Amino acid sequence: MAKKRPASNRRRNRAPTFDAKGWARHHWLCCKDSALSLLKSPISSALTWLVIAIALLLPTLFYISLQALNSQADTWQEGGQITLYLTFDTEESSGRQLAQELTARAEILRTEYISQEQAWASFNQTLSLESNLELAENPLPASIVAIPVQQSQADLEALLLMLRDLPEVNDIQIDLAWIDRLNRLLDLARSMVLLLSLILSVAVLLIVGNTIRLSIESRKAEVQIIKLLGATDAYVRRPFLYLGLWFGLLGGIAAWVMLTAISVSFQQRLDGFLGTYGLDAPAIWLNATELSLLLLTSVIVSLAGARIALWRHLKDTDPS
Amino acid sequence: MIHFDQVSKRYDGGFEALSSVSFHIEPGEFVFLTGHSGAGKSTLLKLVTATEKPSSGQVRVDGQQLKSLNRREIAFYRRKLGIVHQDHQLLMNHSVYDNVAQPLFISGEHPGDVKRRVHAALDKVGLLNKEKFRPIQLSGGEQQRVGIARAVVKKPDVILADEPTGNLDPALSRDIMNLFAQFNDIGTTVLIASHDLGLIARLNYRVLSLKQGQMISSPFGTNGGTYG
Ligand SMILES: Nc1ncnc2c1ncn2[C@@H]1O[C@H](COP(=O)(O)OP(=O)(O)O)[C@@H](O)[C@H]1O
Ligand SMILES: [Mg+2]
Repeated sequence: MAKKRPASNRRRNRAPTFDAKGWARHHWLCCKDSALSLLKSPISSALTWLVIAIALLLPTLFYISLQALNSQADTWQEGGQITLYLTFDTEESSGRQLAQELTARAEILRTEYISQEQAWASFNQTLSLESNLELAENPLPASIVAIPVQQSQADLEALLLMLRDLPEVNDIQIDLAWIDRLNRLLDLARSMVLLLSLILSVAVLLIVGNTIRLSIESRKAEVQIIKLLGATDAYVRRPFLYLGLWFGLLGGIAAWVMLTAISVSFQQRLDGFLGTYGLDAPAIWLNATELSLLLLTSVIVSLAGARIALWRHLKDTDPS
Repeated sequence: MIHFDQVSKRYDGGFEALSSVSFHIEPGEFVFLTGHSGAGKSTLLKLVTATEKPSSGQVRVDGQQLKSLNRREIAFYRRKLGIVHQDHQLLMNHSVYDNVAQPLFISGEHPGDVKRRVHAALDKVGLLNKEKFRPIQLSGGEQQRVGIARAVVKKPDVILADEPTGNLDPALSRDIMNLFAQFNDIGTTVLIASHDLGLIARLNYRVLSLKQGQMISSPFGTNGGTYG
């Protein structure tokens, strides 16, 4: 006789109790297996993560050079000075007082008052003129050399306007135009780096997406079978997502290793080159935050690439 | 347990593989599905596994309207079934052990349990000594038995088997049928598609017959005559 069994719980497949341990086990398994599968075909997987690494290396290199330039630009900006030529009817005492007043301002680091006599003396010294050149009157004006503190271009320009308006000031000579140009150049370079990063992120997305697509294709039969055995979409996606994660991580690490190799070889040359000018070379390294950001970006973009490929191609693997 | 109500299946291209098929199978029943090649046996089983959707009519299993299930619910629904495919559907890159263990991996079973249950299932089909082999290293009959072990490893509520003895010699066929009968004894519903009329005749179970997509006999358990 057929044995009747008590009606089983109808909702069983609708409301499965969540099995956290089983879930964690499968994550671990997928993580391990996808890493192993990369190791099993080192050449073909290396092709993918090397391409990722190169795509990441480019903007990172630009970024690093920019950082180096930036750090230098700060010291260069300090070299920017403003020379205020005073009118001839300004007494030395009021000139010195003006210099003091200017020093008290927050925008100005320090000032130096140069009297007419000092200017004449240094003029003579510079040109090593014989004292047979005798002028009845000293033609050079007194001046104040002001060194501004580091500030934005806009603030600097406001400062200049203010200085020009001073009644004691006859003329202003500024050494800032090139700083302005440099700043604009750096701004441009910064947006280029951003753009480049975006473009190459899309490249990474496509590379990983395509690799995962091929992987789905090659495991299509397998995926169909495990779906028939009751695998959910999330379960089926998991190994591929881990594959994407590994690609991203490996690519990021490889990019960092290449970057370090390049930096090390460049740092020596840079040190030597700048040393002859008495300058300290900036460090061309990624700090810990930047490195984590690089790896995180790489992993997230790769995961996104994998997820998009899965979204596009997993439906094709429904069993039939 | 399994209810078909006026179910028709028309494949893309217009061929009607099943026409207005109605029947039901009680929980714990053991039923053969028979008919010539092309009669629609595999199609009927695919409707039960929610691999194909009926063109019209309703399929209900264990009280659930299959067409009302979403993708995730279908996945969980399938975990209650033990399916033996006509073409085995084994993972060719995995060992026999891994193949049989898949259903347990999918439901997140503890690895210790997995090992015990896989060994028990392989023992039942006489393949314990080949757990490390790949399917490609096995004969057709052995692959068939791997598929059977996989179907029963989770003690499913329902066993659906499509020509499970197609590649087996008579003695092995009998063993496999006995295995299914053992599961039936503990309450598992069994539906086996087969055109092996000799085998079916020897075993005294209810028989559903398909002919060119139509049910021609014993559509309901009540008038199914003898079943053991
Ligand atoms: N995926 C498909 N697309 C179109 N026709 C199909 C498909 N699967 C099966 N058929 C047709 O449906 C009919 C029934 O097939 P099937 O259910 O496999 O029969 P059986 O298992 O009884 O031999 C056959 O004529 C077959 O050609
Ligand atoms: Mg068939």
